[in-house]
Amino acid sequence: MDIEEIKTLTELMVENDLSEIMIRDGDKRIMLRRQGAVEPPPPQIVMSNPPATLPSPVVVAPANAANPGAPPAAVEPPAADAGLEFIKSPMVGTFYAASDPEAPPFVKIGDPVTPDTVIAIIEAMKVFNEIKAEVSGIIETIEVHNADAVEFGQVLMKVRPE
Amino acid sequence: MKKRMFSRILVANRGEIALRIIRACREMGIESVAVYSEADRDAPYLRLADRAICIGGPPPSQSYLRADRIIAAAEVADVDAIHPGYGFLAENADFAEQCRDSKIEFIGPSADSIRQLGDKAAARKLAKKARVKVVPGSDGAIEDNEQAVKISNEVGFPVLIKAVSGGGGRGMRIAHNEATLRAQISNARTEAANAFGDDRIYIEKLIERPRHVEVQILADQHGNCVHLWERDCTLQRRHQKLVEESPSLAINDKTRDAMCKAALRVVQAADYFSAGTVEFVVDHGGGYYFLEVNTRIQVEHPVTELITGIDLIKWMIKIAAGGKLKLRQKDVERNGAAVEVRINAEDPDNDFRPCPGQITEFRAPGGFGIRFDSHAYAGYTIVPYYDSMIAKLLVHRPTREEAIVCMRRCLEETQIGPIKTTIPLLHRIFNHSAFISGKIDTGFIDRVLQNKS
Repeated sequence: MDIEEIKTLTELMVENDLSEIMIRDGDKRIMLRRQGAVEPPPPQIVMSNPPATLPSPVVVAPANAANPGAPPAAVEPPAADAGLEFIKSPMVGTFYAASDPEAPPFVKIGDPVTPDTVIAIIEAMKVFNEIKAEVSGIIETIEVHNADAVEFGQVLMKVRPE
Repeated sequence: MKKRMFSRILVANRGEIALRIIRACREMGIESVAVYSEADRDAPYLRLADRAICIGGPPPSQSYLRADRIIAAAEVADVDAIHPGYGFLAENADFAEQCRDSKIEFIGPSADSIRQLGDKAAARKLAKKARVKVVPGSDGAIEDNEQAVKISNEVGFPVLIKAVSGGGGRGMRIAHNEATLRAQISNARTEAANAFGDDRIYIEKLIERPRHVEVQILADQHGNCVHLWERDCTLQRRHQKLVEESPSLAINDKTRDAMCKAALRVVQAADYFSAGTVEFVVDHGGGYYFLEVNTRIQVEHPVTELITGIDLIKWMIKIAAGGKLKLRQKDVERNGAAVEVRINAEDPDNDFRPCPGQITEFRAPGGFGIRFDSHAYAGYTIVPYYDSMIAKLLVHRPTREEAIVCMRRCLEETQIGPIKTTIPLLHRIFNHSAFISGKIDTGFIDRVLQNKS
């Protein structure tokens, strides 16, 4: 196995956000393991006819095959986000930082939260939905502004867990 | 009642139809807002839209079928109208109603006509009232088995047991005699209840070796209505269309004229507006019978666009904005012959098993009179959550013979791999003497596949 083939394998791993790949070719074996895949992707279908220069992959293990409903990570997270949990929007709508325009915001940077802490309201079709933190920790960043439109999966806040 | 043209439209769909609608919007100077599931994050048409909003996880039930999230996206993006495409929520009357209740126009017919024509038994009644021949069968839903037996004996076995809330070829069972009929009715009801949430069924005579011919119509909100001729969609595999063409070889000009006028009578009786398709079944004697109405734009609409030169998506948008249909029937000419093939990511050698995966080689055909509608490209990954159609390939020529020769050439040029596609099966069809001579029926493909001839 030469360096070009290994390079292609590592690119394949990053593209498909795989944490581990093992290839067997006769009595040669190579195992590549990758750190830092934060969010497991749903099980990916690997193409049945890989490039001719590589032997067929024997086993491809997505980081968490038991949780196919988890949203896929788009890219490797930057180093600054290492260890942080993201609070993502579960719906489409308008983000509000407080319960009404006069009230103080639900949370600010540095506030502690528990899973049941309400951190925002998202409004859609005149219905106001309380958004809970779902994690324990300290609010590290707030990624959106009051009255911003948010989409499904959009990162609202980052939390340093404890 | 003249409204203003929309300034922003949300496209509540994905894949090639989303691309089709976005293209129409761009040409009309209308802003487009695309919605996508996390599985479609890399879809290329998202970048052609003015804005793209993620509405949920990959399964349709978490995204493209989520009326609440789609309307929420429409609100945050401040759109004037939603185009539902085909499939998903396109024929969901509740969704049409919710849009309009939220002061967002639904680019399609009224919720009431979706409901009325979506009930297949009610649609048959309407057709009869409009003096259109229907496939012989029950007047409405079957009350009990004895009634089913009586009707089946009247129209003659074999019969089809069909779901009132079905359609698109789903939820049908054949009965060749009374004993089978009694046995199959309860199966049919259970299947219908599970698939459509409605266990009502009705009976139709089974037309043997039928041809499927449908008529495209356009109607505005001012009572004007035109037909845009027919499409022959006889070539199907398990009730899924593979090849569509116009004009149809199954009917002569007299029948063509009668069917197109009959289609107009049905949609007028339903106070229908927008684009729609009236489906007929044609028997081997050339007799035609009303089947159902599809209250949406269809996959194969480009066949009609090619022979008439009329842009159906743009007309849907204009009609929804209150515009008057400026077409008169005599302006709707048909020119030449057009054929469409659907290229699906399926393995024809393995019972058409879907083949999701990455496309690394993608070479589209081209040349005079070719239309290739596809959202795919080299590097695109087909995901397993949605239908397997990758592309629609159409040719338009003065005659059917030339169109067939051209299509053969295009199929040879088209390279999509390494995933398996239905191109090899299409090769066989376009080289098959029965298809070339036009002697086909809806069972043709299944028989060809069994014989591998």
